[in-house]
Amino acid sequence: MPLQVSDYTWQQTKTSVFISVPLRGVSVRDADVFCTENYLKVNFPPFLFEVFLCAPIDDENSKAKIGNDTIIFTLYKKEVAMWETLSLSGVDKEMMQRIREKSILQAQERAKEATEAKAAARREDQKYALNVMMQIEEEERKKIEDMKENERMKATKELEAWKECQRKAEEQKRIHREEKFCEQEKQIEDERKKLKHKSHTRISASRNLATKATKVFKRRNSENIFLEKLKENSIPAPRSVGSIKINFTPRVFPTALRESQVAEEEEWLHKQAEARRALNTDIPELSDLKEEEKNPEWLKDKGNKLFATENYLAAINAYNLAIRLNNKIPLLYLNRAACHLKLKNLHKAIEDSSKALELLTPPVADNANGRMKAHIRRGTAFCQLELYVEGLQDYEAALKIDPSNEIVQNDAEKIRNIIQGTELKS
Amino acid sequence: MSAFEKPQIISHIQKGLNYTVFDCKWVPCSAKFVTMGNFARGTGVIQLYEIQHGDLKLLREIEKAKPIKCGTFGATSLQQRYLATGDFAGNLHIWNLEAPEIPVYSVKGHKEIINTIDGVGGLGIGEGAPEIVTGSRDGTVKVWDPRQKDDPVANMEPVQGENKRDCWTVAFGNAYNQEERVVCAGYDNGDIKLFDLRNMSLRWETNIKNGVCSLEFDRKDISMNKLVATSLEGKFHVFDMRTQHPTKGFASVSEKAHKSTVWQVRHLPQNRELFLTAGGAGSLHLWKYEYPIQRSKKDSEGVEMGVAGSVSLLQNVTLSTQPISSLDWSPDKRGLCICSSFDQMAERTTLYRSEAAPHLGPL
Repeated sequence: MPLQVSDYTWQQTKTSVFISVPLRGVSVRDADVFCTENYLKVNFPPFLFEVFLCAPIDDENSKAKIGNDTIIFTLYKKEVAMWETLSLSGVDKEMMQRIREKSILQAQERAKEATEAKAAARREDQKYALNVMMQIEEEERKKIEDMKENERMKATKELEAWKECQRKAEEQKRIHREEKFCEQEKQIEDERKKLKHKSHTRISASRNLATKATKVFKRRNSENIFLEKLKENSIPAPRSVGSIKINFTPRVFPTALRESQVAEEEEWLHKQAEARRALNTDIPELSDLKEEEKNPEWLKDKGNKLFATENYLAAINAYNLAIRLNNKIPLLYLNRAACHLKLKNLHKAIEDSSKALELLTPPVADNANGRMKAHIRRGTAFCQLELYVEGLQDYEAALKIDPSNEIVQNDAEKIRNIIQGTELKS
Repeated sequence: MSAFEKPQIISHIQKGLNYTVFDCKWVPCSAKFVTMGNFARGTGVIQLYEIQHGDLKLLREIEKAKPIKCGTFGATSLQQRYLATGDFAGNLHIWNLEAPEIPVYSVKGHKEIINTIDGVGGLGIGEGAPEIVTGSRDGTVKVWDPRQKDDPVANMEPVQGENKRDCWTVAFGNAYNQEERVVCAGYDNGDIKLFDLRNMSLRWETNIKNGVCSLEFDRKDISMNKLVATSLEGKFHVFDMRTQHPTKGFASVSEKAHKSTVWQVRHLPQNRELFLTAGGAGSLHLWKYEYPIQRSKKDSEGVEMGVAGSVSLLQNVTLSTQPISSLDWSPDKRGLCICSSFDQMAERTTLYRSEAAPHLGPL
C-alpha cells in the first residue's frame, strides 16, 4: 500500500498554481507524474501523491520540475480565479475513483489524438514531397519538348528558306531563257521588217519568215543537240553485254534462312532422311543390283563369306549396304566390328561394337552370345589402343556373361598384369 | 555524352496514307519526295509530296497497273530527275514525273517481282555511265543502261539447273572512275555476292546465316570503303572493304539490335560514318562506326587482311508499331530523312508514315 504524501506545499496566483512535493530521497528516475485537467498524481514508490484539483487546469502547458529532492509543479489555471483550496472538498472514495478513471481515459484519448495527428502530418509531408518531385520531372520533360519544338521550327524555317532560294534560282534561269527567246524573236521581227521593205510578195515573205523561223528553230535545236553531244562525250557508251553465272549456298527450304530456325530445320531433314531410308524402294544406286542383293540377310551371308576368305574391305562393303537397308540388325554391326578389328580400324570397331550392344538390349540369355562377342571385340580394340582399363572393363563384362571361357580369362589376367605393371613403374 | 549532347531524333510530320507504301525517296534538289506502293484494289501508285510550312501537301498522284515495289533517282541527271521503278510483275520503268502517262524507258526485266533497285552515275555523283541494277525473286540480278533497250548490260543469274533464291537487295559501289563499278547482292538464304562489272566476274561471296534484307556501301562514288548488310533476326554486319584477303574475304563486325528484322540501312550522305537502321518493331537506331587503329594487318602467312572497327549506338527512337520498311536521307538538307512503315490492319489500310529530322549537334 503506497504511502500517501501529505506534506506538500502550494501557492497560487491568479493564473497559476505552484505545488511543491518533497521526494523524500527517492531517486528522480522513479518518479512517475500523471496529470490531467482535474487530477494530478505522482507515484514514487513507496510514496504516492495525488490531488483532485479544485478547478480544471491546462495540463498541456503545465510544467513539472523534478530535482533537488522535490517536484515543483507549475500549473496554469483554465479560469482566472483564486482557489480556496488546492483539492476538491467533500470527495468520497467513489468520486475519487471516478475522477481517476476519467482522467485515465482522458489521457489515453489525448495520446491517441496525438499519434493520429502525427500520422496525418507525415502523410501530408510525403504527398508534398511527391508533388514537388513530379513537378520537377514535368519541367525537365517540358524543357526537352521545347527544345525539340524549337528544332522543328528551325528546320522547317530553314527548309522554307532553302526552297525560296531554289525557286529564285529557277526564276532566274527561266528569265534568262525567256530573254534569249525574246532576243531571237526580235531578230525574226527585224528580218521580217527588212523583207517587207524589200517588197517581196507576201507569200515569199511568209516563206522567208517560215524559213527564218525554222532556221532559228533548227539553230536552237542544233544547239541543243550540240549540248547533248558534249554531255554524251563525257559519259561512256553503254557497257558491253556480259553475264555472270552464280551458285547459291544450298538450301532445301524455300523460305529465308534464319539462325534461330536452323536447329529445327536440321531435325526435320534428319527425320525425313530416316523415313526415306525406311522405304528403301527407290534409292538410285540400288537400281542396278539384283533382287537378292537387296536382301540384308543375303548380304550378311556374303559378308561372312568374304570375312572367311580374309577379304575384309569387301566384307565391310557388304555389311555397309546391309546396314543401309536395315540398320536394326545387331549381328551386322558385330561382324563389321570384327572386320574393322582385323583392319586395325580400332575406333570404328569400338563404335560398331557399341552400336551392337545398344541394339542387343535387353540383356537376356538369348543374346548372351552376341553380347559377349561385342564385349570381347570392344575390349580387344581398347587394349590395342592401350586403353587397358576400359579394355579390362569389357573383358570382365564378357566374363560375367560366360565365366567359363578360358581364353577370355587368360586375356583378362594378362591385361590386369599390364595395368599393374605400369602402375608399379609409375 | 549527356542526354543533350547526343544527337536527337525528332519526329516532324506524320501522315497516314490509304495504301500500302513500300518505298519512299527524296526528289533530289527539292523539298519534295515520292512514295510508291499499291492500293488495296491491286494497282500501283506513286505520290509526290512537298513539305510546306510544316505539313505535307500532295502534289500529284499517279496510278499504274501493277503495284510498285521500289524506286530510285540514282541514275538520272539533276535536270531530268526521272524516277526508275520496279513493280510486282518484273517490269522496270523510268518515269518523267512531269509527264507520267508514258514511261521514258520500259522493259520486262524479270519473270517475278522486282524486290530491289539501285541507280548510279546520275545526280552529278560519281563518274561513268548511268546504270540501274534490279534484283528479283527469280534469283537474277540485272544491270540496265537506259540507253540500251530491252537487254540488260549485265546479267547475274544462277547456273542452269540451280535452285533459285530470292534476291532481296542490291547496291552499287566502287564507282570512282569511269570503268570501275561493283554490284553487291543479298539473297534470302544469307548469301552476299560482290560482282565486279569491269571484269564481269564474281569478286567475293559470303554467307551471313540469315536472309539479307538490305545492303549499302557508305558511298557509291569512292573506292569501296565500308559495306553494311542487315539481315533477319535483328543482326547487321559492317564489312571493311578496303582490304580483301584471298581466303578470308573482308573483315567485319556485327551487332545485334532491334530484336527483329532490320529492314533498312542508310548512311548519312554528309557523314559516311553515321548510319540509320530501321527495324521490324518500328524503331530507328542511329549508329556511328569507329575505325580501328590500323585498318589492315598481316596474318600468319604475311598476307594482308583487314581489321574491322567498332559500332556504337548513338540514339534510338520508336516511331511505330509496324516495321519501318524504307528510309531515305535528304541529300540536300543534312539530317532530314523520311521513312515509311506499314500498318496492315484488316479494316484500316491506313499506313503510317512519319518524318524524322535528327538534330546533329557537335560530334
